[in-house]
Formats: sequence, C-alpha cells, structure tokens
Amino acid sequence: MKKFYLIVIILAIATVGLSSKWQDNKDAKPQKKSVSKAKTTKTGKEKSNQQKMMKKLYTNCKTCHTYEYPTKSDPALVNCPRSKMISVFHRPEEGPIIVKMNDIYGKYGPVIFSHRIHSEMSEMSGGCNGCHHYNTTGPVLKCKKCHAEERKREDLSKPDLNAAYHRQCINCHRQWNRNVNCDGCHKLKENDSEQKIAILVNAVSNAQHPEIPHPEKVVYETKYNKGKFVTFFHDEHNKIFGIQCIECHRDENCIRCHDINRLKKGNNISFQQKKIHKTIDEHHKPCVACHQKQSCDKCHKSNIMDRFNHTITAGWALKHYHQTISCNKCHGGKIGKVNRNCSSCHKKWELGNFNHSVTGIILNENHKEIDCESCHENKNYSVKPVCNSCHDDKNYPKDKPGRIKSIRVVSRK
Amino acid sequence: MKEISRRSFLTSIGAAATGSLAISANQALSQPTNILSEDRRGVLVDTSNCVGCRSCEWACKNAHGIDAGDIESYKDRSVFNNMRRPGIDSYTVVNEFSNEKNPLLPIDVKVQCMHCDKPACVSACIVGAINKHEDGSVVWDTDKCIGCRYCMVACQFQIPVFEFEKAIQPEIRKCDFCYERFKKGKLPACVEICPLEALTYGPRNELIKLARQKIKRNPEKYINYIYGEKEVGGTSWLYLASRDFQSIGLPKLNNKPAPGVSESIQHGIFAYFVPPVALYSWLGAMMWITKRKEEVKQEKEIDYV
Ligand code: SF4
Ligand code: SF4
Ligand code: SF4
Repeated sequence: MKKFYLIVIILAIATVGLSSKWQDNKDAKPQKKSVSKAKTTKTGKEKSNQQKMMKKLYTNCKTCHTYEYPTKSDPALVNCPRSKMISVFHRPEEGPIIVKMNDIYGKYGPVIFSHRIHSEMSEMSGGCNGCHHYNTTGPVLKCKKCHAEERKREDLSKPDLNAAYHRQCINCHRQWNRNVNCDGCHKLKENDSEQKIAILVNAVSNAQHPEIPHPEKVVYETKYNKGKFVTFFHDEHNKIFGIQCIECHRDENCIRCHDINRLKKGNNISFQQKKIHKTIDEHHKPCVACHQKQSCDKCHKSNIMDRFNHTITAGWALKHYHQTISCNKCHGGKIGKVNRNCSSCHKKWELGNFNHSVTGIILNENHKEIDCESCHENKNYSVKPVCNSCHDDKNYPKDKPGRIKSIRVVSRK
Repeated sequence: MKEISRRSFLTSIGAAATGSLAISANQALSQPTNILSEDRRGVLVDTSNCVGCRSCEWACKNAHGIDAGDIESYKDRSVFNNMRRPGIDSYTVVNEFSNEKNPLLPIDVKVQCMHCDKPACVSACIVGAINKHEDGSVVWDTDKCIGCRYCMVACQFQIPVFEFEKAIQPEIRKCDFCYERFKKGKLPACVEICPLEALTYGPRNELIKLARQKIKRNPEKYINYIYGEKEVGGTSWLYLASRDFQSIGLPKLNNKPAPGVSESIQHGIFAYFVPPVALYSWLGAMMWITKRKEEVKQEKEIDYV
C-alpha cells in the first residue's frame, strides 16, 4: 500500500516536472566573475591613450615591456610582442645555413632544417615574417626566444616550442605531400647515430635549391573579343630585361611549385595552374608595376604577340656591341624610359668622326658637312631633329636629310 | 528566482513525501559530486591548427589501458572516409571535413566528452555514478553504475557509450578528462602529445579570453563564435573554427542546460529507495519523449551535417 502511494506521488511530481522546464540548475550556476582591474597610477588621459593603443594591438604593456614604465632610452622590450612589427629584413645569406632542432626531449632525434633554402624560397613568398611572425625591432629572433619548451605553463597566449615548430612546418608541407607523418622529418633516436646525423648535417648544409624551371612564354586568353590575347615572354623579362624573380613573385604560395602532383611528373614541371579567381586588379598587378603608363593595347592584342624585337619596337636595330649590353646601359634604370642620348657613352662623337649611317639614315651630300647642332638642337639626341634652322618648308620625319638604310631584322638571342 | 523557488518547492515535496516512507537510507550514497569550480580547467580546440595526425587518439588509449597499437598505424588517413564517434575503445576520435576554401587544408575536428558545466549525464544518473570534479572533469564511476544508460540518453553530444558486448558488469565509457592524470599534476594525455598544440589546456576563463583574442587578431581565419562557451550552459572543452560548427560535426544546441527533469526526482527520492522496474521504464519513456520532442524541435530548426 505504501509503495502504491509512493508511486502515485512520484508520478504526480514527475509529470509537473516534465511539463515545466527547469533550465537553471542552481547548484551548478557559476558565480559572476568579478572583473579585476589592474591598479595604475597614471592620469586619466594617459590611461585612455594607453588603453586605446592596447586595444589596437590586442595586447597589454607587459606583453612587450618587462617593467611598467619603459623609457625611450631603456624600453625594456621583451623578445616577443604579440603583434606584427618586424622592421628588420635580412638577406638569406645573413641567416644561418642550417638549424639543428634538438631542443625537445622525446623519442626523435634532431631535425636538420635547411634555413638557407627556406629563406631563399621565402623571398618569393612573403619574406622572413612568413615564419618569424612576431618580432621586435631588433634582429630576427629564434623560435625558442619566445616559445617556451614547457607545454604545461602559465602563459597560454603562444604555443610551446614543439607546437611552434610543427605549426610552421606541417601547415605548408602537408599541403603538397598530403600527409602529416612524423617520419617525414623525424628519425627515431634508436635509428639515428652521431655518424648519420653528421652526414645529414653535411648534406643539408650543402644542399641547394634546384634551379627553378620557368616558362618561356605564357599566353593569356581573355574573354573579351577586342584585345583577346596577352602574350607574356617570361624569359625575356628575366634574361633580357634582367628582372629578378622576386620583383614579380613576392607573395607566391609554396604550393605553386611544391605539389606532389607536380613532382610526380619529374622534370617536366607543368605551369598549368588551377584557375584561381582573381580580380582585374590582381591580374594586372604584376605587369602594371612597370608598364604603368602604357595603354591597354600594349599588351592586349588580337593575336599572339611575337618576341620582343628592338628593331620593330624601337625602330633601331641592335647590332654589334649593342647586342651584348644590358638594356639599362642605354635605357637607364627603368626599361621604357629611353635615353637616346648616345653621347653619354660616345663622348667623342662629332663631325668628322661620326658615321651617321649607324643611326639608320645615310646623310646626303648637303647634310654631310654641317654641324650636329644644326639639326640636333643643343646636342640633344633624344628629341626629334629640327629642319627649320635652314628650311622653312621641311619637317622631320616627313622629310629626311638623306636616305633610309635598308634594315635587316636581326632577332636577339 | 521564480524558477528556483518552484524547483526547490517541488524538491521539498518530493523529499517530504519520500522521506516519510524510506527513512533508513543514507542520502550521501547517491548524491553525485557536482562542483562548478571558478577555477575549473578546460581545453580550447583550435580546429585550424589540428592536422588530423590522430596522435591524440593514440595517447588517450594508452593513458586508459586500451590497446592502442602502434602509433605508426595512425598514419592511415582512410579512416576519415567515414564519420566516427567515440566508442568503447576510443574515448576520442578525429574526423576530417573537406575545406572548400583550400582543398589542400582539410578541417580536422577532435571529438570527445565536452565536460559540460551543467552536465546532463550527471543529472540523469539515478545513482550518482557520474561526478563533476573541481577541475571541470565529468567522470563516470564504476562502483555505482547500475547500467541504466540514462546518461547516454541525456547527453546532447552523444558521448557516453555502453559495453553492449559485455554480459557481466558492462561499463559506461567516455573521456574522463584524464582525471587521474590531473590529480598527479599532469596534462591530459591528448593535450600533452598534440604536436600542433591544437589543444590548449588551462583555466576555462583564460581560454575564453585567449579564444576571443585569437578571433580578434585573425578575423578572416575564424568565425566569431566560441563553441562551448554557452552551449547547454557552457562546456569545459571549447572550439574555434573557420566556419560554422554544424558543418564540422558539432550539434547545434541552445544555451540552456539540459532540463533538470529527472534530477530532483532521482536525487531527491531514489536516494532512499530502489524503485521497481516498471518505474524505471516509465521514467525512461518520459525522458525519451521529452528528448524526442527536443530533437524534433531542433531538427526542424537545424540542418545536421
Ligand atoms: S594530436 Fe592534435 S593535431 Fe593531431 S589529430 Fe589530435 S588534436 Fe589534431
Ligand atoms: S558531453 Fe555528455 S557525457 Fe560529457 S559531460 Fe556533457 S552531458 Fe556528460
Ligand atoms: S582528456 Fe584524456 S580521456 Fe579525454 S580525450 Fe583527452 S586523453 Fe582521452
């Protein structure tokens, strides 16, 4: 009987209980956290400025300074403030050749990392701060300057050394080899020996990045009918115009070259890339850095363009010595800015020792004997010559002081 | 305040009613420990750092006396072809989701017990076999469990699993936040081994601050949401991700703790009394119905992935 009553009571309570939802569990309610405010003796204005700055950097003073009142002369900077502020850039040669990573106790032997090759590659993909992400204004720091070796630690704002290393390496490497296996970089201590390590150190120290293959010519087909094709001669830009790789390739993703699918094909690395959506600006960015002032049809043609030919482009065939010198010998630092003032090199050219036919015009009898300056005002050869000092009705280039030398087109190697 | 008073009112009726009937039992027997320490620990799982190496799976097994096999065998990435759930011999599993932004960097997500601040499993357990400790861990205790599996039904993350194969003394199995290791001052096994420190262990308060900071610094990398901060009243394990959490296998839940339906009845009454089987099934059915209602409601709102 007692049991029966009990069941009835329980059922009644439970039904009431189920129909109303108790969302709050009194026992488990966390107490409101009291916000602790750092004590400070600064004035109101200073404080608000400081707070503004900290908010911007998402950091507080202690993150960068070892004591509370740093001064200009003694900023007391700690090694690793948590915001981007690298200001020192090194050349790859300035960094170490290899880094022997052997700071973490465990079952694996040291990892021999080729710092030089990576830093050389990094020039094409964002520079030092691709890896050395946070730095003070001093020299580039080693990982372990900031990252603690201990995983169990107070400061959780940055990962420990083990994780810092792994994040830097794995996040790139796994993209092209599609695996995250330990044995990609590590050797078990039991399989390692001093001798083997020495051999590896030697091999990695001497390792060079293989020559980067590059295309001769790339043809872009736009979706427009007018000026459908853009032809880009990679080798010309690189070999003839002497443009360094990093002048165009600054923010490349490693994957552009390092992809397992590409490596499989052996040496025939394909440059057919996956289509990535780019904005018009992004498409033009690498070109317009130099071809700033040119009109669209300089590059956008209805046909695939021929190679660069000085004779056609400049109307002046490169021959003999001129074929061997670099562009900027005549054109100054920047290609396109033409300085036709031959006398900057040919200082002694004057009437009598100058064979005018090298310019493409063989002077006729009337003009052979007159001063250079009569036509080339102020000996400025970069502007068109004048006729009106003698002739009222003549005008260059409609009228010429001789005959045009027949030009044989010589293409440059 | 109103709700609390209603609750305490009902509790007191229950206690009064049963108290008069079952006098000799000792209340402390079945009251679970349910500490919500200010200083409780947690783990921040940054899915953008996880590479799916599955070292954590290996370490977890090792730390719990489960045959873990050779760590080399965890290289096998074909396991990612299927969605996996924690099981009796794996308290944690890592699942992989494709990343349309960069197919070469898939998103890997470790799953284990979330160690809820207001654990439904603790509330559901009639005999107090699951306890929440000072470090935030929610741990199942072998001695008391009677195998009713209410905890399995109650857990919104579907974490506890039952050894169905075992006829004698089957156990409920789930991640215990490495409570034994905590007592020895060690990190959870998975946190200790993770080569990427995708799992950051620390005071939960600190982790939330850290997570906020990460989101602020990298707004393109993370969506502005910390999974677990508020879900079902907050969980010790927190997640950051680059896209919405339902698309990486975490259920959409509301911020209210699972209804403490059974709790007051069970802890108030059954503490003194071993009820007949009929009552168990009745309660079970009621719980199932409410849970089902919840699920149906949720299914309407949400697309599960
Ligand atoms: S050990 Fe870390 S990185 Fe590896 S799968 Fe587990 S959580 Fe991810
Ligand atoms: S996730 Fe499930 S098993 Fe873990 S504490 Fe929460 S309710 Fe309990
Ligand atoms: S905290 Fe411990 S029990 Fe939980 S998943 Fe990690 S290793 Fe396993």
